[in-house]
Amino acid sequence: MTTSPLIVLEHVEKRFEDRRARRETVALDGLSLGVGEGEFVCLLGPSGCGKSTVLDLLAGFEQPTRGRVTIDGKPVGRPSPDRGIVFQEATLFPWLSVIDNITFASRLAGRPASEYRPRAQELIEMMGLRGFEHHAVYELSGGMRQRVAIARAWISQPLLLLMDEPFGALDAQTRLAMQELLLAAREQRRSTVLFVTHDIEEALFLSDRIAIMSGRPGRIVEEIIVPYPRPRAYQEIIAMRSFGELKRSILATLREQAARPQHATMESLAHGDD
Amino acid sequence: MNASRRFLIGLAAVAGITLAWEIAGRTHLVEPLLLPPPSEIVTTAIDLARDGYRGTPLWQHLALSLARALGAFAAATLVGVPLGLAMGAAPGFGAVLDPFVQFLRPLPKLALIPLVILWFGIGETSKVLLIFISAALSIIVGTAAAVSTVQRQRIRAGRALGAHGLALFRYVILPHILPELFVTLRLSFGIGWTTLIAAEMIASDAGIGWMVVNAGSYLRTDVVMLGIVILGGTGYALDLALLGLQRWAAPWSGRA
Repeated sequence: MTTSPLIVLEHVEKRFEDRRARRETVALDGLSLGVGEGEFVCLLGPSGCGKSTVLDLLAGFEQPTRGRVTIDGKPVGRPSPDRGIVFQEATLFPWLSVIDNITFASRLAGRPASEYRPRAQELIEMMGLRGFEHHAVYELSGGMRQRVAIARAWISQPLLLLMDEPFGALDAQTRLAMQELLLAAREQRRSTVLFVTHDIEEALFLSDRIAIMSGRPGRIVEEIIVPYPRPRAYQEIIAMRSFGELKRSILATLREQAARPQHATMESLAHGDD
Repeated sequence: MNASRRFLIGLAAVAGITLAWEIAGRTHLVEPLLLPPPSEIVTTAIDLARDGYRGTPLWQHLALSLARALGAFAAATLVGVPLGLAMGAAPGFGAVLDPFVQFLRPLPKLALIPLVILWFGIGETSKVLLIFISAALSIIVGTAAAVSTVQRQRIRAGRALGAHGLALFRYVILPHILPELFVTLRLSFGIGWTTLIAAEMIASDAGIGWMVVNAGSYLRTDVVMLGIVILGGTGYALDLALLGLQRWAAPWSGRA
């Protein structure tokens, strides 16, 4: 790689204090990861390994205890719309309509309507939300809410999109439809995506590269390049021989990590992060 | 069970009890002096509406009570909501006020009557102040609690979209707590309305609360019952009005 990656995490350590129990939890220890511009990377790991903590650091919700976290060469500042975030639960604002949710950041930043209106319209088309612009978000299904959440994050044309198990709460059919929608939308805008999941198939279908994390304290134990060309079709990919092989090998790594004894003295339930 | 069915069942229950009560009164199963039947209360209502009670027309008693309660409640909302918001948003400020609020809130407001009279005399100020104190304390506590229970993930979503400081408060936290704020206002109004009787006991000569207490000392149980029906019915109607306001201002209550 000639240019340095867009996102760099270098020897990152993150500790959480638990004052009541008078001990510390080490969520991340010696985690290093780079994500190139336009790349789609999935973070995969056993539950409680600190996957979400990585996103929190990049979003600016948390600061690393040690190590370096940079985006485009600059240290991460406070949360901002140039790092779009989609959570597992669509944290939409129920007092705003679909269109007002999508344009929230633009209006807050005082952007002219002539700028954000066409963009919002484009995203509404792309996310299949036409006809629902003025609906109340609490009337929508779970899948549609997540589509609004993605559009809301995407409208600010973020440097990167952080997704924290965004389809984890959806049923299998809706999840697949959402994965396909996300890939199709990304064909049009080459966004950099860091996507947290515990679903191996989801990671293989969506990403260019999979970073597997260890059990707590989390670090990257293995990186796997996903060899499938884009655009991808789900039924073709799952039928491939290499798909099964990759899945088996990733599963073996995950099992090994989940079985690894964790730092019992450092353990704390108070800061379970996912 | 749907809403109209619930309503009909409730209506039937009220009608049934009223009928049983009427029969109990007419057959002297219950001494009418102790529990006057509904028909007598209706007659009393017509009499009082025409002739007034102790020189004051019935509607004026009600208007006076409503003015005291609503005025005090409006002032309590104007003072209590901002104070509660500030306590919830600024933990330091909250820590300063909290002991005083928690001490005063469960205190029976009747105990304050001698002090209030001593400080403010026996005029309207004392009565309104007593209702105000009860309602405002409950509003402050409820509002502060609502602010502190806004989910972390929702605040994070707001920050990630560029809302910080005052903007976060104005465009994310405030609308978020609106449904809970209405619940607090409804509960607080109930508390304020309850304090009305106590407030009108302070050397008054009008108001529904006063009418009930005064009629009691003359054994006019029909007037007492009428006053109770008016107090209960008005409180019920005002709560429904607040509920309607909540459905209009925060239609997502309980759904998101």
